[in-house]
Amino acid sequence: MELSTVRDAFDRVAKKQKVSSSKSQEVIDQVGHEIEQTVAKMQSTQDSSTPVDQKSILAALKSKLNTISPQNQLEGSQKELNVNLNKCSKVLEKVFNPDISKAYRNVDFDIHILNQIIANHFYREGLFDAADCLIKEAGEPEAISLKCQFVEMHQIIEAVRSRNLEPALNWVSANREKLTQVGCNLELKLHTLCFVDILQKKSRSEALNYARINLAPFASVHMYEVQKLMGCLLWAGKLDKSPYSDITDITHWEKLVDELIQQFCSFMGQSSSSALGVAIAAGVEGLPTLLKLANVMAVKKQEWQAMKQLPVPVDLGKEFQFHSIFVCPVSRDQSNDDNPPMLLPCGHVLCNQSIVKMSRKGTRTFKCPYCPQDASVSECRQLYL
Amino acid sequence: MEIDALPNGNSPAATSTPSPATTPAGSTPVSKAGQLSESLKLEHQFLRVPFEHYKKTIRANHRVVEKEMSSVISGVSQAADGDLSQDDAVSHLNSLVSRLQGLKRKLEEGNLAEHLQAQRCKARIDHLESVDLENVAEWNNTRVKRILVDYMLRMSYYETAIKLAQSSNIQDLVDIDVFQEAKKVIDALRNKEVAPALAWCADNKSKLKRSKSKFEFQLRLQEFIELVRDGNSMRAITYTRKYLAPWGATHLKELQRVFATLAFRSNTECLQYKALFEPKQWDFLMDQFKQEFCRIYGMTLEPLLNIYMQAGLSALKTPFCYEDDCPKEDPLSQESFRKLASPLPFSKQHHSKLVCYITKEIMDTENPPLVLPNGYVYSTKALEEMASKNNGNITCPRSGLVCDYSEVVKAFIS
Repeated sequence: MELSTVRDAFDRVAKKQKVSSSKSQEVIDQVGHEIEQTVAKMQSTQDSSTPVDQKSILAALKSKLNTISPQNQLEGSQKELNVNLNKCSKVLEKVFNPDISKAYRNVDFDIHILNQIIANHFYREGLFDAADCLIKEAGEPEAISLKCQFVEMHQIIEAVRSRNLEPALNWVSANREKLTQVGCNLELKLHTLCFVDILQKKSRSEALNYARINLAPFASVHMYEVQKLMGCLLWAGKLDKSPYSDITDITHWEKLVDELIQQFCSFMGQSSSSALGVAIAAGVEGLPTLLKLANVMAVKKQEWQAMKQLPVPVDLGKEFQFHSIFVCPVSRDQSNDDNPPMLLPCGHVLCNQSIVKMSRKGTRTFKCPYCPQDASVSECRQLYL
Repeated sequence: MEIDALPNGNSPAATSTPSPATTPAGSTPVSKAGQLSESLKLEHQFLRVPFEHYKKTIRANHRVVEKEMSSVISGVSQAADGDLSQDDAVSHLNSLVSRLQGLKRKLEEGNLAEHLQAQRCKARIDHLESVDLENVAEWNNTRVKRILVDYMLRMSYYETAIKLAQSSNIQDLVDIDVFQEAKKVIDALRNKEVAPALAWCADNKSKLKRSKSKFEFQLRLQEFIELVRDGNSMRAITYTRKYLAPWGATHLKELQRVFATLAFRSNTECLQYKALFEPKQWDFLMDQFKQEFCRIYGMTLEPLLNIYMQAGLSALKTPFCYEDDCPKEDPLSQESFRKLASPLPFSKQHHSKLVCYITKEIMDTENPPLVLPNGYVYSTKALEEMASKNNGNITCPRSGLVCDYSEVVKAFIS
């Protein structure tokens, strides 16, 4: 990606623009100066002036201006600037893809659905003002319950970020059962941070009190963590020199925020990251391939609009893999309920239809295409991915 | 910053790639840096729009200077060729001098405006160069916001666009001022006034001519129709002579068709001509304007959001997304996304990609899939962890089957 060529081309333009601008100033000054001089000449010969003198003075001015030729000068510097402007445009077209809408299909997105998706995205990201503004401008109905839940979530997060753990503790104890069900020890983590905070800012005895009330219930299940925290008491005031120094690490707070968001959203039945963000990110990764494909298929516009499945794979990062897809190495078909993946006795996997074909509908044994081990249909087991 | 595509993260030299995945045999290795570089290539509009704006300002300023200079020069010629008294000549010349001084001031103002726009272009180049593997998450977040502001501006949700840009401090990275220029024209068209639109056409004459645009013609036609609607037949005819006749050479048929409305009244029932009197014509003009506007600034005709969403949804779309147990992390688990994606093609895979139900991680040669006696498949990592915490016992989370770790077999999936 030659961004440096873009920068160079643009710097050249900016330079030429300055040159052109100062040239224009110069030219204007020149012309102004000549005229002023002429006026002075005319006024100095006031007493003995005759119309003839005036005529010749003005004629001299006119021919002087002709020689200076300000319009040509202006045009000249502008021409040079234009050349560089055009060069810069060409560089832009070369370095970037000039038209990313080539892969666009003529299907309209329902504006209302899109606006609601955006509003939900704003709620999740805490941009409540923007969400309200959008709903007003677009005239969409408000998703009140969703908004309230996200408002609550952001209040808790804001509080945690300003080191106030109370709203978080309230929420966590209200959802204690659900959290233990998923095996999440958020409550312990919160109390840990609180405990360390007290230990650093207040006295050892206060910290000990706190531990007795809040950490004790966790002792049975999380003995090791509680023991560690008790050990910290010995280093009150010099925790950063203790063997437990990493407990003072401020990244714990951000990690806690992340985990809070994850659990909160999961209880709401939402994903932990914005769906809109994920879809756009997938689009950014996939668009270059789609544009290449659209280019190749440029002539077959009908086919492009009507296709039910993309003809080429669009490689996305691991983070976009949400489903197990099994592709039979023999038939290249994607497996589904009607054609499930089957495990051969040798450990290799083929789709059911391939096995049916190779075994002549179950009448013969066949050889696995990977290792030449024999197999029969009855030895194959269906897999649930 | 030159970002060259790095080799696949398996080589020891590429230490900065955060996720060196072992790719299945046969698929193209794509490193994170290479992906970054590809995604930057999609940002043509990001640089082109402020650049076009910059060009326009430069050219407009230059035209002002040229015009003033030629009138001053011809003013001098006038004085030299004419017969003025000395006082008149002196005051005439002095007025020319003050015009030049005014021009200097205008030039300085124009210079300032150009400088600001050049700064904006530079800021955007800086922004593109600023992305690296460390701040990529934040940079992507900014990109989402930029895309959303672009959407708001095109849908005319100006307040939301401004709020969003301000709250994330990305005013330099979005084109609100360019769109506000368009807003004036669109609002006027909504009020059935063509004057700002015609002024816009005059401003962009050369570009519109180059793209053989007939937008000005359509505006003139609409003005003509309004004159007919008001019953001003005589004015309509003189209007035609002045403004529509020049277009007759290239667009005769359309001109004739509209001109014939003179014969009808605005409440005509004749379908062909009734359509021309419809208020919908104004909506059509607004759409036309939006298209011409986007074309001139090098913007895509569709909002960036739609372009990226179409690509993303299609790339993510599998038949499994529409099932009830679709994981919540998949955007297509939500009804709204499913609806948007329904007319789009499904994605295609050439190679198996398996995701463990328990850990949500990919099951590949480093973390191979294991098969329980009842056919359910989970990753080695998940089952090893489960076995270590449960005395070597495994419980299938989906079927409930309990078995020993020794009973699982390895599956080989390429």
